[in-house]
Amino acid sequence: MSDAKVAELAKQVHDIRKPLNRISMQAELIKLVLENNLPPQKAIEAVDKILQSCQDCSQLLENLSDPSV
Amino acid sequence: MLSILLVDDDHEFTEVASHIIDFLGHTVSVAGSLAEANEWLEHNSFDHILLDFMLPDGSGIHLMDRVQHLFPVPKVTFITGHPSVKSIIAELCGPKVDYLLKPIQRECLERVLNPARQKAKKSSAAQFELHFGCLIGESAPMQALYTMIERVAASKANVMLLGESGVGKELVASAIHHASKTAGALVATNCGGLSKELISSELFGHEKGAFTGAVAQKTGVFERAQGGTLFLDEVTEMPLDMQPHLLRVLETKKIVRVGGSKEIAVDCRVVSATNRSLENIAEKNILREDIYFRLAVFPIEIPPLRERAADIPLLAKAFLASLNDENGTNYQFSQAQLQRLASFDWPGNVRELRHTVHRAYIMSDPAKDEIELPASFASPFSAVQKEKSGLTAGKTIDEVERELIYLTLKKVGGNKAMAADMLGVSVKTLYNRLSAYGGLGEFS
Repeated sequence: MSDAKVAELAKQVHDIRKPLNRISMQAELIKLVLENNLPPQKAIEAVDKILQSCQDCSQLLENLSDPSV
Repeated sequence: MLSILLVDDDHEFTEVASHIIDFLGHTVSVAGSLAEANEWLEHNSFDHILLDFMLPDGSGIHLMDRVQHLFPVPKVTFITGHPSVKSIIAELCGPKVDYLLKPIQRECLERVLNPARQKAKKSSAAQFELHFGCLIGESAPMQALYTMIERVAASKANVMLLGESGVGKELVASAIHHASKTAGALVATNCGGLSKELISSELFGHEKGAFTGAVAQKTGVFERAQGGTLFLDEVTEMPLDMQPHLLRVLETKKIVRVGGSKEIAVDCRVVSATNRSLENIAEKNILREDIYFRLAVFPIEIPPLRERAADIPLLAKAFLASLNDENGTNYQFSQAQLQRLASFDWPGNVRELRHTVHRAYIMSDPAKDEIELPASFASPFSAVQKEKSGLTAGKTIDEVERELIYLTLKKVGGNKAMAADMLGVSVKTLYNRLSAYGGLGEFS
């Protein structure tokens, strides 16, 4: 693998960490909502955001496996 | 409840993190860039800063310089996606710097924000006897100190604490406060950290509109310490022309807010501290004589660590135990290591010892139980200077940044895209930095 490819890969791995971090935090929020019997609306919003982050993550992984797209 | 500044440019992350921190019972302010963080720090004080390593307008390290000069110094936790920055943070670290790796979990957030609560759960640190709730040490000089604290706590006398940097003057102040069992609070301020213009307002407060920028009324530290203890750190760094105002308050026990006319009665014990020697204070005319006698009704000298070397192993073990408790690890010192620590003369006193233990803790092999001490304890403050090698305290952030950039470029054979990625900045930023240093040098 050329240096440029290694660098590109490192950047993509870093970009994928971002939605992962969002997912982790939103999941923690949902846990808090459930543990403390808070209004479920907050949890539903968080779930939507997790789903969106999963899509983002999936798209980034797609790009990674097929750079021509 | 803590006041927290969260600095990160990922808005969804800061939003959800704010919710969680809010649930944990703390107040949180959010900044998306270094510029915004600086703005927050301008007008507010924070207990803890959660700081992203890479921000749109620079590295989070740039904020450290400013943070070190705040009083009180907030705790800082770096948030990073790069495990590789761990060693850089270990170098920067003191008891007040920590780090979190993305993706972040709530337990980790709780751990960095509230190490005290963890300690209560499974406290192995409790085996160390804390005198007055905060002081550790059983040596003869410390026993003498405890007796003095007890005696003075029973009186209402003002106390001046004398001792080298890092001996724990603030801890002794809080010991005196706790032993006094007063109803009021312990309020601390650093006289050396205040500008001439702001010092009156900090000490005595101001009325709305007293000067440009005085948009609201502010109570000074004397009023806030009502019925309690006021700790004036670095009192000898107070400008001479401010001292008559302080003297007046000490004599009359009344203050007038800046821009106000009403006299307000204040009643608090003033504990002041300085790292200058008595001779130095008199010779250099740093403190007016009349002020000295008002502040130092009861002077207490805190012994430097080398004069109570018997306490070094105890302190080192206590610091390590509290790190173990915070992080759920089980590192131990060997007897030989404790002897090595006890034979060093610790020019930076307990603060330096604590820093050394924390640094060793971070650098130790997680697979082993024995902690790894560095080959040398020397710091810029030691008599023997450490030879120039990478990071040392006393370098500016710009110097360190420059060195890091060139080192990284060298490692990747001058590949700027790769270097930029390893450094966590954009290629454009890297080029900008390089041209600011006067060109690409050998990497052009």
